[in-house]
Amino acid sequence: MSALKHVCARLISLFRREALDREFDEEAQSHLDLAVEDYVRCGTPEAEARRLARIKFGAVEASKDAHRDSRGLPWLEGLVYDLRFTFRGLRRDRAFTLTAIVTLALAIGLNVTVFAVMNTMLFRGYPLVQRNDRLVYIQEQYPSGTCCITYLDFEDWRAQAHSFEGMAFVGEKNITLSYGEGRSTDATAFTVSTNVFGLLGVKPNLGRDFVPADEASGAAPVVILNHRFWESQFGGRRDVIGTSVLVNKAPATVIGVMPEGFDFPTQFDVWMPYMRGPEVNQRAPEAFMAVGRLRDGAKLQEARAELETINRRLEAAYPATNRGVVARVDTYSQANIGPDAPVIYGSLWVAAWFVLLIACANLANLTVARTIGRWSDFSIRIALGAGRGRMMRQIFVESLTLTSAAGVLGWWITKWGVRTWAVETASIYQILDYTLDSGTLAYLVAISLASAILFSLAPMGRVLQIGVNSALKSDARGVTPGLRGKRLAAVLVAGQMGLAIVLLSGAGVLVRSLMNVVSANTGVGDPEHVLVGLLSWPSEKFPSLAAALGYVDRFEAKVRAIPGIVDESVASNIPVNSGNQRTFEIGGRPNPPEGGEAVQFLSVGPDYFRVVEAPAISGRDFNDGDRTATLPVAIVNQSFAARYWPREQPLGKRLRYIDRKKPAEWLTVVGVVPNIMQGDATRRQFKPLVYLPFRQAPTVLGVNFLLRTGVPPGQVAQAVRVEIQKLDPDVILKKFTNLKASFAFDPDRMDRAHSEMGKYAAVAPIFAVMALLLAAVGLYAVIAHSVSQRTKEIGIRIAIGAAAEDIRRMVLREGMWPVAIGMVLGLAASLGVNRILQSQLVGVPPYDPGTMTGAPVVLILVALLACLIPARRAMKVDPAFALRHD
Amino acid sequence: MWYRNMSRVTPDCKLDLLQGTLDLMVLQTLDAMGPLHGYGIARRIEQLSGNEVLLNQGTIYASLVRLQQRGWIAAEWGVSDNNRKAKFYSITRAGNRQMKKHKSQWERLAAVMGRVLAAAAEGGKG
Repeated sequence: MSALKHVCARLISLFRREALDREFDEEAQSHLDLAVEDYVRCGTPEAEARRLARIKFGAVEASKDAHRDSRGLPWLEGLVYDLRFTFRGLRRDRAFTLTAIVTLALAIGLNVTVFAVMNTMLFRGYPLVQRNDRLVYIQEQYPSGTCCITYLDFEDWRAQAHSFEGMAFVGEKNITLSYGEGRSTDATAFTVSTNVFGLLGVKPNLGRDFVPADEASGAAPVVILNHRFWESQFGGRRDVIGTSVLVNKAPATVIGVMPEGFDFPTQFDVWMPYMRGPEVNQRAPEAFMAVGRLRDGAKLQEARAELETINRRLEAAYPATNRGVVARVDTYSQANIGPDAPVIYGSLWVAAWFVLLIACANLANLTVARTIGRWSDFSIRIALGAGRGRMMRQIFVESLTLTSAAGVLGWWITKWGVRTWAVETASIYQILDYTLDSGTLAYLVAISLASAILFSLAPMGRVLQIGVNSALKSDARGVTPGLRGKRLAAVLVAGQMGLAIVLLSGAGVLVRSLMNVVSANTGVGDPEHVLVGLLSWPSEKFPSLAAALGYVDRFEAKVRAIPGIVDESVASNIPVNSGNQRTFEIGGRPNPPEGGEAVQFLSVGPDYFRVVEAPAISGRDFNDGDRTATLPVAIVNQSFAARYWPREQPLGKRLRYIDRKKPAEWLTVVGVVPNIMQGDATRRQFKPLVYLPFRQAPTVLGVNFLLRTGVPPGQVAQAVRVEIQKLDPDVILKKFTNLKASFAFDPDRMDRAHSEMGKYAAVAPIFAVMALLLAAVGLYAVIAHSVSQRTKEIGIRIAIGAAAEDIRRMVLREGMWPVAIGMVLGLAASLGVNRILQSQLVGVPPYDPGTMTGAPVVLILVALLACLIPARRAMKVDPAFALRHD
Repeated sequence: MWYRNMSRVTPDCKLDLLQGTLDLMVLQTLDAMGPLHGYGIARRIEQLSGNEVLLNQGTIYASLVRLQQRGWIAAEWGVSDNNRKAKFYSITRAGNRQMKKHKSQWERLAAVMGRVLAAAAEGGKG
């Protein structure tokens, strides 16, 4: 208590400084008077008495200082003084202050944004879920590909695996939900084991959670609503709990609504208990995934090993269905973002640090330049007895002031950056929690502090070198500043250039890789003149397949009549996209033991190959005669023909799906068409494809159409839209664009390993450009400063006959040397660094020669520009003026 | 260079004060003498120490303001014996307690130092 009072007393004394000083003066005067009186009384002459009294008292100012220090808070006073000094200095040097704060704020904002995004991508996990880091996501890998899991396998894991505290099952289902008076909507549902919310640690916001009885066979069906769906479809009415809805025409009771912002595992509309039916015993892969919570202390590796053991047991017990089936146990980021997420977001974070380091190097150079500008000021203060520590504190307070301002600004940039990122990269397949928490704020404070320390080091080092005499002298008659300062600046510039080139080349290969994907040859002729779109309708819209096909017929007739449309076709999928893969067998050949390879089967309308300008190489196109009643036919592409009938004529050969339930019909190959890109995410190879006539293999819930136009497609787009609306307002037109545009990068179309590639390649250049600009600004500042320091020297050179050309060469040499050194080191480093990016590169080697020459060229051009501006100034130095100039 | 040796000109045969000892001396003086002004306190300490203590009289004011802020002494402007205006300090109750505490600590420390030094001296002889 008394300690607190004491501090208060000291604080108060800070504000009563003048009154207290006056009081001290009075007291000192009274002291001296008393002393003089004493001496005089003992017989000393008055003048001598005064002298003695003063000697006894000691230095009055020193005592006053001691008085102040012991009554006040000297460090705080010093700090206030430093701050005031700093503000005054920064206000005077507006250009410096603004540059410093803006560059730092950008670099800090970028860094914290990336940190926040990385944190979200790698560690955060699902919003509202407890202990996300202990959750793992399990899918099974089948010989034909990774997809889903088998319910009975899940039951065996749940019963036998000891590394898990619990495990829940998540299947998916498209449903039609009817409620109220005849209103109905298509909805997406997760069919889950009833323990799922308990496992996640999330309770419904309204109503109750599932209980085990809800999944027992014969239990009354129940559903829990997603908050978003509840608001949009039920208007957020609380009395929805307990009401009855129809799920696919069967009654079910709404028992709960989950909290706002809760989605698991993706953005779907409802959750309902998984009901095992008789088909479960076929052990066919049917569900989406399982989610498990690791027991305390259990490691991911143990869980993996355990499931592997169980799966090998299952393989022995059920060879027909479980041969070669491997359980894949993923963390949140592996499952949700992709296996390369740590590389992608880790490298972006490192890149953000590069940018911050470059900004700090700039600041260091600028501050050193400022320090040198105040050289005589510092020297005089040291000569007058100011401690070096005091001056270093002054420099640090200045750095801290700058970074604090930059940090505040950086926080706003972060907020904006993260929000922009979240909006731009939103996908219904990724549930991400981007809230900025106190950890992010702490990180911001920490890196602000770290950068303040980083860029104070150089100027502090300079202050330590100040010798009283040397400084005063060199300022008085020095021509050029010390070599030491220049060497430091050159090292910093070289470092900046090195970092910049690493980022440039990294971004370069990523962008080239993305370009490879986007601009790959798809096999489609002139895709800019093809309009594509997806027509989709609610499942209860057309009660029968015939009704749906009737609609397609009417649609085709209408759009063909639109002037400007040359050809029209429908397809189950448009070029490039991936679709249904199916295993098949070839007539007259024994089945391979693993159940055959899987290729993509597409259903296309009669004029499809005319629309995509890939007419049949041999055999015929589909035509209107290929209908349900006629001979089932197929067309294969060249790649298929080359692979399965390398030395044979494919026409007339037969193939069919492998179907466990009943043998499928044989399809006769009637044509071979050129290759069209389909289903390869990275668009590197033409996969074997089988095309079926749309009428013989129609799609159920929607259809893609392709329209070749004779005029720019924009001119007919509106007419198409109108026709579709007029024909049937219930049919929704989606993804309406031209085919060329549809080839653009789409993360949802990529495979897991490349799904983040687009974001990566889009963001990396931002870093590279920022790094390049900052480094250029830094180089410019160093050279401009050097030129202004050397004005006198340059004046002398010109006076004794140096040509403008010589001066320019001199300035350029000074600037470009460190650039060259940094560039060489940076290039060497980027050979190693780019290797890390390898997994994300498509068709580009990490040391891509184009990028490795392009990046240095860009860097040199920018650096030349940064040097030429000050060089021009140097060339214009007027010798007479320069020699007078101090 | 002549100035390099300047500090040595100051006689260093007097005792430098240990941190905190001045505060205790001031408290003790005020306790013994009753209210006193700064000059009086300084004189009193000089007399008692037999001029052994190196004391710029001015430094006593730093000590006085510190003790005052801690509430161990109180101050009041008054008039001296020969009618001069001066600030008089007096010890408070808290100051008294503090003094006793410090005094006993100081005595114990002095006793220990004395014993240690004596032992060291004997050891040196043996």
